[in-house]
Amino acid sequence: MLFIQFFKSSIGKKWIMACSGGFLLLFLCSHAAGNATLFNSLPLFQAYSDQLHSHPLIIAILSKVLFMVFVIHIVTGVVLFLQNRKARGTGYKVQKRAVKYSQASRTMIYSGLFILLYILVHTCAVSFGDHGTIGLTISYLFSSPLVILFYIISFIVLAIHLNHGFWSMLQTFGVNHPEYNTLIRNLTYIVPVFFLLIFSAISLLFIF
Amino acid sequence: MPTTNITLSLEIWRQKDSKAKGDFETYKLSNISTDMSFLEMLDVLNEQLTREGSDPVAFDHDCREGICGMCAAVINGIAHGPEPETTLCQLHMRHFDDGDTLVIEPFRSRAFPIHKDLVIDRSSLDRIIQAGGYTSVNTGGTPDGNSTPIPSATAELAMDAASCIGCGACVASCPNSAAMLFTGAKISQLSLLPQGQPERKERAMAMVTAMDKEGFGNCTNERECEAVCPQGISIRHIARMNREFVKASFFA
Ligand code: SF4
Ligand code: FES
Repeated sequence: MLFIQFFKSSIGKKWIMACSGGFLLLFLCSHAAGNATLFNSLPLFQAYSDQLHSHPLIIAILSKVLFMVFVIHIVTGVVLFLQNRKARGTGYKVQKRAVKYSQASRTMIYSGLFILLYILVHTCAVSFGDHGTIGLTISYLFSSPLVILFYIISFIVLAIHLNHGFWSMLQTFGVNHPEYNTLIRNLTYIVPVFFLLIFSAISLLFIF
Repeated sequence: MPTTNITLSLEIWRQKDSKAKGDFETYKLSNISTDMSFLEMLDVLNEQLTREGSDPVAFDHDCREGICGMCAAVINGIAHGPEPETTLCQLHMRHFDDGDTLVIEPFRSRAFPIHKDLVIDRSSLDRIIQAGGYTSVNTGGTPDGNSTPIPSATAELAMDAASCIGCGACVASCPNSAAMLFTGAKISQLSLLPQGQPERKERAMAMVTAMDKEGFGNCTNERECEAVCPQGISIRHIARMNREFVKASFFA
């Protein structure tokens, strides 16, 4: 009862978004670390993949959990979007923002849905394929400039999503203190740019 | 700044009563002194309308010195107008140029029904306060000054939160119509002080629940509220409310 009440409340939904978002951020870190083996060589990446998939139980549990967290994050995000649209009633004739840089926060639902599209494409093309030959799959995939372009656009959208998401997560957790706010503000740029650079570099590896 | 007289074109939301369907009306106003406040400018308009025999524009106001929180309107898309940390009554016409068009709309939220023109019903905010309940104070003689020590930094923070005048601009400016800045300030004010401790958790719980019941939206950390708040209330108080609510929900 306590849990249901909490998660139905407006602040509870914020926490769901922040916790699931935080989990997905951790997943991004591990994904980036795994992919970083590609900077060394394709066989090393294949070896990493083989090693990972030699633990079927871990893979089964983690992929189910990851899937659940994704669903929770998306469903809650869409519910928030729909509920919030109704809360205004009649809209304003002149719509203006007082905050200077609000492009990222304003477009969370759209950047989120684009990332969802990307994930569908990416999982169909790579994750659900044969892991024994994943090295071949991706080197074939990234030989097409169109695919690379789609991937890089997606990473840019992801970076924009993270720019608001990362800060918003900390604010929801109650991390807001004048002493750390400069650091946090810098991190809202550093974290997204880090992922943008590392993932884009990986998708560009194959044409050089 | 020298005084000049400016001419304005106003587009104002006119709505007969809470049931009627409103619309914008355009008015021309000339010879407005830049020393006037925004509400004085509306007074001039209303005199003009009364002389013409038409219905004056209804708007809320009381103190006209930025402390009561009654005045409220959205000017060209910004609640309380373009000047930061300024209520509408404290906004002066010198911030506008000759020939400007000003679109004047009521604060909009499902939880703020419109009574008439720019006058809205903000009793939803009162009900959040009521849900907060009481603080326990011992009866008896007046306590000695400083008998309850409070660090001055804490007292300042509590005072910052307490300076909320309940105008509702945070709700009006929030893209989600959320009332988190208001509720965060009201919860923080007492949870920071020793006098607020006995009922601290019940209060956080009850006020957030009341806020959700009124039909305000959900906060998605857009920061618009902080940008328009005439009292400069920081979203730090929302962060504190988030913590208070979790503590109250799971560790009560
Ligand atoms: S928090 Fe600021 S904007 Fe909101 S009601 Fe209080 S004074 Fe007005
Ligand atoms: S009339 Fe009192 S604050 Fe504006």
